[in-house]
Amino acid sequence: MSAAQAVFSGWMEIEDKTVRDEARQHEEEAALAGLVSQYSGTLYRVAYSVMRNAADAEDAVQEAFLRVLRHRDTLDEVRDHRVWLIRIVWNVVLDRKRRMKTRPETDDVAEMARVLPADGLSAEERAAAAQHHAHVLACVEKLPTKEREVLMLSAFDELTSVETAAVLGITESSVRSRLFRARNLMAGLLEHRRSLR
Amino acid sequence: MSSSEQNSIAGASGSGEFEETLRQIARLAPPEGLEDRVLATLRTTPASGRARVLAWPVALRLDSAWVRSAAAAAIVAVVIGGSWGVYSRVQSIQPTRAITVPLHLSTQGGFSSAGAMRTPQTLNGPMVVHPVPAAPLEAKPADKPALKMPLKAVKSAAAK
Repeated sequence: MSAAQAVFSGWMEIEDKTVRDEARQHEEEAALAGLVSQYSGTLYRVAYSVMRNAADAEDAVQEAFLRVLRHRDTLDEVRDHRVWLIRIVWNVVLDRKRRMKTRPETDDVAEMARVLPADGLSAEERAAAAQHHAHVLACVEKLPTKEREVLMLSAFDELTSVETAAVLGITESSVRSRLFRARNLMAGLLEHRRSLR
Repeated sequence: MSSSEQNSIAGASGSGEFEETLRQIARLAPPEGLEDRVLATLRTTPASGRARVLAWPVALRLDSAWVRSAAAAAIVAVVIGGSWGVYSRVQSIQPTRAITVPLHLSTQGGFSSAGAMRTPQTLNGPMVVHPVPAAPLEAKPADKPALKMPLKAVKSAAAK
């Protein structure tokens, strides 16, 4: 085979490679679709707990999956997809939250009244519950960042403290100590609010 | 530590009331059609870094050793050629010559300085007066009888 033949013989292999790429692409798409159907709900809840807005939370979930799409070559190397995805969406929402302005408490009251279940409650009770939830969230906002993050993630039934530690990139003992501090601070803040009223 | 254990800790510390709010948020149902919307977004977004219209021919891929060596040789040649070009240009620059200013002669009929040199006017400094050494007295011959002069006249003559 001459040098020219050797050079141009490569073009003949494009078809095979394309077929292989397409097959691989289909596999990756199927894997990604599986992740979406399995974890989009969890990711939405995590995003919502930080953003406290349905549209922002959904945007964050979409951005998280777009990041996964960009790094789908490394999907096979990930051990725990759930924790990995939660970590991605957690970083996305923290990044967005940093850029956002502070939410006024009135927005939270309206959002909580709209979103949280209020079956069997009268209109007055529902309004009072929404206000209480908004107060709680305002107190959560006042916590130091480290304590706040642990407290918010600890509310998720899907996450153990080990997984919370993995999401935050800290040790499990740090999670426990931060959670303890967060609860004490929250109790103090709520008590202070109650005394002001 | 599971979430139930966490809840028991919360209950023990007596601060679990606020956690009900967080737990309710954490149990929210996702909106209808979230999956479909996410999948639609993923389908419409082009995968970056993957699209390739043509693949390199096998012989031109950098997998083969000789292509790699040829590429390295080409890079070395370019670097050496470039540096030689710069070096040779630097060598060809002639050293700077002393600039001689031509004498301006007024050929247009204007006034000329007529070769006069301007000297700055400076103040006259103090005059330095060197002391004149006193002329030694000539020894008079011994046989010549000394003139009798008054002492004042002798001193004034010495001072002069």
